[in-house]
Amino acid sequence: MKDRLSVVGKSVRRIDAVDKVTGQAKYGTDLKVDNMLYARLLRSPYPHARVIKIDTTRAENHPRIRAIATIDEVPKVVGYWWNLRSEKATKKMYLQDNVVRFRGDPVLAVAADDEESAQEALSLIDVEYEELPALFDPIEAMKEDHVKIHEGGNIAFHVVKRFGDVDQGLKQADYVIENRFVTSKQKHASIEPIGTAIADYDRSGRLTVYTSTQLPHWSRIYLAGALGLPVNRVRVIKPYTGGAFGGRCGLIHGLEVMCSFLSRKTGRAVKISFSREEDFEATEARHPFIIELKTGVTKDGILVANSIKLFLDVGGYGTHYIGVLADALSTGVGLYRCPNVTFEGFCVYTNKSLNGAFRGYGNPQMNFAQESQMDMIAEKLAMDPVEFRVKNYRGLGEIDPVFDVPIRSDGMKECLTKGAKKFGWNKKRTRKLAEGTKKRGVGVSCLQHGTGARFGLPDPASAIVMLNADGSVNLVTAAADDGQGNRTVLAQIAAEELSMPFEQISVSDTDTDVAPLDGGTHGSRQTYCGGLAVKRAAADAKMALLRFASQHLDVEEENLEIKDGVVYHVKDRSTNIRVGDLMRKIQIEDLSRCEQIIGHASGVAPAMPPTFGAHFAEVEVDMETGEVHVVKLVGAFDVGKAINPANVEGQIIGGEAMGIGYALTEGLIIDNGKIVNNNFTDYRILRACDVPQIDAIIVESNEPTGPFGAKGVGEATMVGTAAAIANAIYDAIGVRMKELCITQEKILEAIDRGTRASGL
Amino acid sequence: MTKRDINICVNGKWYELAVEPYETLLDILRNRLGLTGTKSGCAKGECGACTVNIDGKAILSCLTLAVQVDGKEILTIEGLPKGAELHPLQESFVKHSAVQCGYCTPGMIMNAKALLNHNSNPSEKEVRKTLSSNLCRCTGYERPVKAILDAARIMRGKDER
Repeated sequence: MKDRLSVVGKSVRRIDAVDKVTGQAKYGTDLKVDNMLYARLLRSPYPHARVIKIDTTRAENHPRIRAIATIDEVPKVVGYWWNLRSEKATKKMYLQDNVVRFRGDPVLAVAADDEESAQEALSLIDVEYEELPALFDPIEAMKEDHVKIHEGGNIAFHVVKRFGDVDQGLKQADYVIENRFVTSKQKHASIEPIGTAIADYDRSGRLTVYTSTQLPHWSRIYLAGALGLPVNRVRVIKPYTGGAFGGRCGLIHGLEVMCSFLSRKTGRAVKISFSREEDFEATEARHPFIIELKTGVTKDGILVANSIKLFLDVGGYGTHYIGVLADALSTGVGLYRCPNVTFEGFCVYTNKSLNGAFRGYGNPQMNFAQESQMDMIAEKLAMDPVEFRVKNYRGLGEIDPVFDVPIRSDGMKECLTKGAKKFGWNKKRTRKLAEGTKKRGVGVSCLQHGTGARFGLPDPASAIVMLNADGSVNLVTAAADDGQGNRTVLAQIAAEELSMPFEQISVSDTDTDVAPLDGGTHGSRQTYCGGLAVKRAAADAKMALLRFASQHLDVEEENLEIKDGVVYHVKDRSTNIRVGDLMRKIQIEDLSRCEQIIGHASGVAPAMPPTFGAHFAEVEVDMETGEVHVVKLVGAFDVGKAINPANVEGQIIGGEAMGIGYALTEGLIIDNGKIVNNNFTDYRILRACDVPQIDAIIVESNEPTGPFGAKGVGEATMVGTAAAIANAIYDAIGVRMKELCITQEKILEAIDRGTRASGL
Repeated sequence: MTKRDINICVNGKWYELAVEPYETLLDILRNRLGLTGTKSGCAKGECGACTVNIDGKAILSCLTLAVQVDGKEILTIEGLPKGAELHPLQESFVKHSAVQCGYCTPGMIMNAKALLNHNSNPSEKEVRKTLSSNLCRCTGYERPVKAILDAARIMRGKDER
């Protein structure tokens, strides 16, 4: 690592901030293309049905209707980039049939001259359905033989992983603790609704799609496959994106493919925009889990066995379930040192809206269960929960058995100790506050979350760094920025590596026609994976720059250094040349050369380093109303190195707020396949007045494989919030909450149960 | 349905428009005047992304019919800067990294603008209360609240000079 950093580690202004505060930033919903049509989807009113007949005659007579695309002709995309690893698996990504598998599943789309006409046309179409029996409970769906949601049955995926021997381990245990946990179906609820795209299929057979995807390049490949086009004939352009959080981690069910088919039919650009209700009802959400844990521990506080059984509710179609399960595996097996672990996972289809990627993937679910379990164990042992975690987590130099690689940077202990200090853990734990009907409690949780996706998935990152004739720099990257600020961070990394002023770096639009292959923005990977690619591309450009400077100044390369855009002789600073002057010479003035320096890099990151973190929560529970008020939260995260501390803090506080929602208020309520709370009044995300004091602590452990020591942060920030809050609620009321979200009603029931159990 | 003629002043410029009785102010701003800085997040008055100022007060443009604002003065996010110079609220949001995805930002800023119009020295609690009509999924509100308090401080300083 460099001794002195000039722009890395500084909270520079975000490059997109001015566009956003002035309203100039164009989001998908703001875009228009000349002569564009508008389309709306007709969605299934049944949770499970076969489409027998579609009669479009009346709609076709509507003067402003231009085309209709139906379920019979448009394939559904039912996989993710895991499928791209083989030709056979890639074919399984596309499903074309006439079955609808959840209420809201698209049956057809109508393109018209305007949105009102498209909407009107939907009422002119008659669809005949054969209703099929529907399954809503994953446990029931697993056992059911007669109703098959998909041809291969209702179990989408089943895996068993064994490390050591759990039965032997349990024999050594002094205590065995067994629990069952249930988690909710959380919705991303980005403020720009999910589900806007414009497809423009031109007469020469080139498809341009504007869509706010987290995965421009993978989406391009999925679209090429769905439309039977060569990859180079598909162009994906990602405009500004109003939040993603995993909700845009691929093509949106019924959006881009439908839009592209309509555009191909009409020869005109077609735009679809989902409403907020469609976003809630028919786009991916967080997988609800059922988690069964049986953990053995010795009286000295050593974990000897852990049996983990998971049931994931996939919904009507699967996309990310294997990855989601893998993240749960990573927490279940990787977080704590335990020689004997069995991990069994079932991913099960149900006739509900589909579940997919969401900040933390399967980790917030698993972490809630595991960190509640660890709290119960610590209590059994009469050990401080912080101390218990410090004693048992897998740290520096230890092998993570899931990835089979050593941990190279470990700030967990620092997160726990600094967090505890800032929170006032020792004092608050012993001081049991109660006032009137209100009782206070405190809780802790810890976590790890891998950066990137290189173990098991293709995980490329690429960058191009071009030096211009005035010394300014164009950084070309497809690293989608959904609002995290990774474009700013990548510009900081380029500036630092090149020793150029940050202001001289300009970052390209996210456009697959110009920016090279990138695995997308997910897995908290862009600072690390994207950053490494940018750093390598910048180093490549810098090498060429120093070679030219050496020729020009007649100084050995090793005696040259660059500072603030000027190349100097290290010993004689009067021998120097501005990078801009040098670039102008070699690009324009020297007619025999006319060469631009273009640095580039492409490849996979060397590791998948875990981000570590700890959450501390203080809650106040009203014993009479069941209301929980989060008084204070502290989140401490080991991010390796904070390239932009303001951005990291923004992730921490935003993630904690989302985590409070996951703990207490957020979960889609489904009645007979119908999502009841499909709006912001009934689905409650936190408002400004609900957010407590949140203290963000940044720990820097310097990841040796990372760019300037950095690893990921975005997802980790909400992974353990729910567990810390649940543990604090237990501390306050003495009853364990094992089901998310922890509503007032559930608290009241639990208090009632607890009172009865204690015989009071 | 017959169209109605209305006159509205948007960001200092008067427009004469024939509008459908069901068209909202949000539709007019975005689709007729091309002012897409005002965002649509729910179209039913829950998220606050469409907040603009009418006669100095914050209103939800998705719940306001265009015919209701005949003769009114409307200020949108596009009308805040003075030439190339950002409004102190905009400058403060940039300075405090109060912007992430940015989709809720114009609504937040316009809501804050209306607050500061009648209360130049709000407490943190007052800012939080006002901002509670703007949903944000990225920031946890911490930095936007700071940005508004700081902008208020700077604006008070300017007034005194």
